[in-house]
Amino acid sequence: MLRLDAITVQFGGLTAVKGVSLSIGAQEVVGLVGPNGAGKTTLFNAISGLVRPTAGRASFEEADILKAPMYKRARMGIGRTFQIPQPMHELTVRQNLLVAQRFGAGRVDEAKVDEILSFLHLSDKADRDAATELSLSELKALEVGKALATDPRLLLLDEVLAGLETASKRSFMKTLTELHARYRISILIIEHDIETISNLCPRVCVLNYGQLIADGTPQEVFSDPEVIRSYTGGGHD
Amino acid sequence: MTALILQSLYSGLLSGGSYALIALGLALVFGTMKIINLAHGEMVLLSAYMAYVMENRLAVNPLLATPLALVVACLIAVVVYFLVSRISRNRELNSLILTFGIGIILTNAALIIWSADIHSTSAPGFQEPVVLGPLYSMRSELGFFVASMVLVAALWWWLSRSWYGRAVRAVSSNRDAAKLMGINPHRTEVVSFVVAGILASVAGVAIYSTGVIQPALGASLTTKAFIITVLAGIGSIPGVLVGAVLIGVVEALTVTLYSSAIQELTGMALFLLVLFVLPNGLFGAARRRG
Amino acid sequence: MRVRVLIPLLVIVLYGVVPFALAGNNYVMSILVAALIIAGVALAWALLGNLGGMVSFGHAAFFGVGSYISAIVTMKLGVPVFAAMLLGGAGAAVAAVAVLPALRLSGPYFALAVLAYAHIFKILATEFTTITGGAGGILGIPTLPRVLGYDFGSKVGGYLVIVTIVLLFALVYARIRNSYYGYALRAMHDSEDATRVVGVHSTLLKALMLFLSAFMTGVVGAFNAHCINFLEPDYAFSSGWTMLPVVAAIFGGYRTLTGPLVGAVVVYTVDQLVFKSLIPSGHQIIFGVLLGVMILFAPDGLIPLLAKKLQWVRQPRGCRDPRTESVC
Repeated sequence: MLRLDAITVQFGGLTAVKGVSLSIGAQEVVGLVGPNGAGKTTLFNAISGLVRPTAGRASFEEADILKAPMYKRARMGIGRTFQIPQPMHELTVRQNLLVAQRFGAGRVDEAKVDEILSFLHLSDKADRDAATELSLSELKALEVGKALATDPRLLLLDEVLAGLETASKRSFMKTLTELHARYRISILIIEHDIETISNLCPRVCVLNYGQLIADGTPQEVFSDPEVIRSYTGGGHD
Repeated sequence: MTALILQSLYSGLLSGGSYALIALGLALVFGTMKIINLAHGEMVLLSAYMAYVMENRLAVNPLLATPLALVVACLIAVVVYFLVSRISRNRELNSLILTFGIGIILTNAALIIWSADIHSTSAPGFQEPVVLGPLYSMRSELGFFVASMVLVAALWWWLSRSWYGRAVRAVSSNRDAAKLMGINPHRTEVVSFVVAGILASVAGVAIYSTGVIQPALGASLTTKAFIITVLAGIGSIPGVLVGAVLIGVVEALTVTLYSSAIQELTGMALFLLVLFVLPNGLFGAARRRG
Repeated sequence: MRVRVLIPLLVIVLYGVVPFALAGNNYVMSILVAALIIAGVALAWALLGNLGGMVSFGHAAFFGVGSYISAIVTMKLGVPVFAAMLLGGAGAAVAAVAVLPALRLSGPYFALAVLAYAHIFKILATEFTTITGGAGGILGIPTLPRVLGYDFGSKVGGYLVIVTIVLLFALVYARIRNSYYGYALRAMHDSEDATRVVGVHSTLLKALMLFLSAFMTGVVGAFNAHCINFLEPDYAFSSGWTMLPVVAAIFGGYRTLTGPLVGAVVVYTVDQLVFKSLIPSGHQIIFGVLLGVMILFAPDGLIPLLAKKLQWVRQPRGCRDPRTESVC
């Protein structure tokens, strides 16, 4: 459903993503890993419309997406979360989801919003101020909730587990597994922890210096000497 | 006709000198503090009135008002800095409204003290013609143009050589990194405000000596200075210089070829054109994203 | 519940009590009408600031365009006055199309770009002498008409019209603020990417707020033209039409609905009744002082400050709820 064809993103003289080709099928769960600065988030930004690739093509469900602005891609069915949670300020948690649903999905269905809230264990906090009254794990859940409210068919999750303590990380992982079973959508997830990614994703892609260096099952990928070298040889910040 | 155009190019160039001083002060403060001081033109205005007071009350040469103007402009600059630095949140927009308010106070103070009348100098020798080939100017115009260029050169030297200049540039380009290098950003901010005040005081005396002043002038000078910095792009002294001369020339040409009524219109139109076509200014480097 | 009691009470006072109490006093009545004109512009300005997230220093442009268009279509085309006022608003909204490119500029640049537009419109009004009468201005602009035997051209009639205009605008503003559009718009200030990523077309919403704000300002400008029956460029595009609403909105609290309205009435009447007689030339100095004091000591404005104080009295154990401020 998502097809990237030789996507390249340059900032001035720096090439953050170099000729990445990748396709993701319906209801597939794919992990995206790589050292810091490998270009993972930049690739997310290119897919969701935050940055414009310098070269390459990208289509989603056979439609060219590179010309579409960010808000249109959300309406087309690409949802994403940010590594640093970006709640909509001045709104409650429920209002965050309602706005996402109204504009992203083009309809208002409060029952669906309540269902997402309870699924993400946010029901108690539904009427709290999203920007100021949530813990980190609740903010991360809200990120996922906003994206889900737009009725996505592809969900891009950017380090939703990073920075969480072990207990909440474990319960969040469980939620993510259930999420896929429940909403039947494709998921592309950035995650540093190899164990986590191996448990969640049947397929893993590895980026290094902006290039795709491996794509396969976790077993294949994490035994690939080039991948091991990219990790042990040190990332670059 | 050619002679007329040549003459307006020359006059525009000369008035560009004091415009450059005003715009550089505004740009310096914007560079270090990321705020636009909407009371900037009023610092120039009050400096100009100091020259008027010296000539009309104390009957001395308006040039001698420069030290007094310097004190007044720098005092205003420091007060503006002190007030702006007390804004706790949403500084970008709140500082705009605060300095807009300070501008209103200063303009109306001038109105209360000196009334809305137009004033200009009658000091001996100021209006004497200086003829350079086909070009004509008043002696004061030429003198202040030379003085402005000296001042701009001094500023350029100071910014590129002195410790403070480096600190100012470091804070402009990256405040946090500058802090890590042991630079006190507050001190650099005060210094940039004071330097802006110094430039404004000379510009004020120049404007009184070469033209007419009235209380409403302050606001239009601020707008003009802002336009010049937009034309120049942020952080380019040669850019500001060219932008200032460009505005001066465009205004002079408009007056010569059409009428003085639309003098400001062409400047504004140029501003909007550059703003939308070249958002980084005529000389600004393309900014990197991400 | 408080709101349900307050609104009918307000309507009774504004339509029932004020006109009769002040009917005999033309001076106070005309000050009140002028204050409500400022209130209308202040509300439009605050709508752009609060919902659109944009500070404008050029609302005089929309005010002037609205007043000129309404005056011209009534005099040259014979359009009825009330329809012409709507056309004035529409014209101001069309003029706002010229400002659209400025939307992509960040805060201070937008504010000053709009200021540039105000200058340009003023100069155009001065130069297009065939349509606008140039610097000499337009004389004899028709007054508000007589409808069903009631003369809206009288002082009380004018008051009733402007009160209605301002209340309607406030109603529209409130409806938008409490809609999904309002939620999205408010969220855009601090988190524009967060709204765009869930499908909000932020530029379009901002543009709509700009059009609406310009329309409101244009209608009020048109009303003013038919009230004073005379226009000249320096008056219609005066920077005062920008400054007074800014002061009113900042004083009252530009992120509240009542703030700009209360601010306009208080600031304008106090200025006219007290400061104008104390300092005939330069009394506007007080506006500068007010802006400075508010930004430094109460940047949220008077109404949120009062709301906080009242709450303090009612709930001494300091259980403040930040969300109640949005009720104001």
